[in-house]
Amino acid sequence: MVVVAALMLVWCSGLMTTSLRDTARTSGWGLFAMICFLAAYNLRKKLPFLHLGASATWLQLHIYFGLLTAVVFGVHVGWRVPNGLVESLLTTLYLFVFVSGVIGLFLSRSLPKRLTTRGEEVLFERIPIYRKRIQAEVEAFVFDGLEASESTAVSQFYTDRLRPFFSQTRNYWQHLVQSNRSRFGLLKEMQAYGRYLNDSEREVMMRLVTSVEAKDDLDYQFSLQATLKYWLFVHVPLTYALLVFAVLHLLLVSAFAGGIS
Amino acid sequence: MPTFESIQRPERWAIPFSSEMTDADVDRLLTIEPFASLDPTRFRGKVTLRGILKNDTRLLRCQPGDIVVRQGDWGNSAFLVVTGNVRVELGSAANLPSEILGHQPVRRKSLLQIIAQLWKNSSEPEVRDVAAYRGDPRIGTRGTGEQTRVYLQDVSAVLSKCQTATIEAGQFFGESAALGRTPRQATVFAERSTELLEIRWQGLRDLMRRDDALQKHIDAVFRERALKWFLMNTPIFHHLGTDDINKLVAEAKFETHGQYDWAGSFKQLAQQGIDSSLQHEPLIAEEGNHANGVIIVRSGLARLSRRYEHGHRTIGYLTPGQIFGLDEIIDGWLGKTPKPLANSLRAIGIANVVTIPTPLIEKLLLEKSDRRDLTRRGRATADPLANRPNIDTTRISSDFVEFLVENRYINGTATMLIDMDRCTRCDDCVRACASIHDNNPRFQRRGPIQNNIMVAHACMQCEDPVCVIECPTGAIHRQMEGGQVVINDQTCVGCSACANNCPYNAIRMVEVRHRDGDFIRDDVKHAPIVKATKCDLCSDQLGGPACQRACPHDALIRMDMRDVQQLTDWYTR
Repeated sequence: MVVVAALMLVWCSGLMTTSLRDTARTSGWGLFAMICFLAAYNLRKKLPFLHLGASATWLQLHIYFGLLTAVVFGVHVGWRVPNGLVESLLTTLYLFVFVSGVIGLFLSRSLPKRLTTRGEEVLFERIPIYRKRIQAEVEAFVFDGLEASESTAVSQFYTDRLRPFFSQTRNYWQHLVQSNRSRFGLLKEMQAYGRYLNDSEREVMMRLVTSVEAKDDLDYQFSLQATLKYWLFVHVPLTYALLVFAVLHLLLVSAFAGGIS
Repeated sequence: MPTFESIQRPERWAIPFSSEMTDADVDRLLTIEPFASLDPTRFRGKVTLRGILKNDTRLLRCQPGDIVVRQGDWGNSAFLVVTGNVRVELGSAANLPSEILGHQPVRRKSLLQIIAQLWKNSSEPEVRDVAAYRGDPRIGTRGTGEQTRVYLQDVSAVLSKCQTATIEAGQFFGESAALGRTPRQATVFAERSTELLEIRWQGLRDLMRRDDALQKHIDAVFRERALKWFLMNTPIFHHLGTDDINKLVAEAKFETHGQYDWAGSFKQLAQQGIDSSLQHEPLIAEEGNHANGVIIVRSGLARLSRRYEHGHRTIGYLTPGQIFGLDEIIDGWLGKTPKPLANSLRAIGIANVVTIPTPLIEKLLLEKSDRRDLTRRGRATADPLANRPNIDTTRISSDFVEFLVENRYINGTATMLIDMDRCTRCDDCVRACASIHDNNPRFQRRGPIQNNIMVAHACMQCEDPVCVIECPTGAIHRQMEGGQVVINDQTCVGCSACANNCPYNAIRMVEVRHRDGDFIRDDVKHAPIVKATKCDLCSDQLGGPACQRACPHDALIRMDMRDVQQLTDWYTR
């Protein structure tokens, strides 16, 4: 549908050029109207108590019109790289908004399915609480073991290798690209360390393995959920910046139009 | 050696209806009718007459104006007037305003009020207008906590304005709703100081089983008032005339299967980690047996299952109004050979069923139908004979069906289902809910997940709302208009009966505050005032539930679980 609309737009623009009509003005206003409509989606989200139609419908239209703006933009700039400070800035802003939108679309379609494949479902805001809870539980049984035995093998390993792992969120980018390299590396290291432990220490190490897996799953949830939330902090502010510069562009074009209708 | 969970065997009267019934009360009751005339030898074994009166009844002492039951309240007990008298409001429409009865008036916000939510929403949680708690002068309340009662301020004014009938000492009322677990047909209030004996339905059932006169009386009342109306409104009998309906009423058998207080026992089982599986569910009809009649679910829920390997696979469920056994009877009649039942039927929690004997179905329905129509039945979705509660297990996985049925989620008419494969965890749904409820979300985006579908902790607006049963003031009730289960914040006394009864963790008790953030406290103990809160399906807003509208990815839906087709289409989209 978007492809068909895009082709029709290009064809219409061709027709207008042939008939010596001002395509830049028409496409400019059209583009501005489309961007305003796209930005209005954020407003719709702020007014959920008004019956303005389903958010899902708005998003679908947002995607269609968003993709179509690429064609309208191309027609508007005449399919060339613009020169001049304002136009270059506007183009850059537009491209960032467009690309971030496409990336966001990809993320919102792919990441939810991945979130259900690993770890328990957790609320994003509670992840730090769960992480601290895991760390406290781990330190309790690691250092309890220290009091019971005279050996510091496990506690020393924890302090050197695992404490940094448990104390903060880890492997953000690895989880995003679904790499388990760090996790396997750490588990392998723990497995190898087992040859230096006695039986009771190995039991503690097994519990540590379970905790490492749980913490890694939590990091996975954090990585994906944070990405789903934070990409909008790129897309939305850039959109407002684009709108501001678009208005500036409109004013400048109107001011320097020289009376040409 | 297999290991298994063991619990103490639950006893029938482990939890009596009232801990305040004394032996002296029972002795007194045994001297009045109808108990004085009952033959005690009919009560053998563990269920004695004395035991029923001690454990399945309680005495209510009402003052003039006390509201005993309200029209629309969920029925669970019958009443016997011991001394004094009560008045029952007559007429098809309620004459008494809902506010007087403790119910929330149905008021939709105007567009301006809706827009004003943008700037008027509080920054503190659970803010309330204290002035509203000063009370509507028309609403009287007496007592505290669970003993709170709403009463009519001016009984004589009510009597002069409304059409009422008197129920005198020695008479019963409320039997139909108690036996059928259906809404009360009318509001009943005490005209003067009155003593009532409230009998919970189990006690009523046992009394009826052991006394023919009581059985006949209550049976006749039930058939005349409730059963006739129910059968007339069952689609397959729509075309029948009055005489035929009366024949159905006369020969219909009415049975109750399962436990009345299923919510409590279900929660107990869930806490103990024991599957509330179909082994615990009473069998209503068994696969392979011949159909004795058409079984219609009058209230409650029933599971359809079929033998599969060494177990039973759930293939569907029945909600009120749905029918079991009709297909086999029709096929048997067409083929002139009785057909065995293709599935088993079990009560989930509790199910009240009406059975119409096969010969009557054949005579009133099948003999008058065109054979071709019967052969082709079910092809048109509007065909009343196309009663197809089976779930297509090629489209919905059976483990998901089992999950829904085991956890009683099929009770919901607005169950919140979230497709976690689509949900981006943006919380737009929660924000939308909060913006409508003064910045207080009325559900949690969490809950059990099966096959990547989450059943969130949001009020499901149950077909069988067990939350309303114990409410002392009628604050939590089903609205007559729209049918949403809502809580009247003004008359809620914070007793937590609803929250404790709800099997789905959908009701939250909250401490309410002034606009400046301080707790509102009671003037005696200075403890914070607590109120029950839950999803009300945005009943005072335009456009229905905001959560579903707010989801950008179509991940969230408020599903009416009675609509199996909608569930299937959503699951497989």
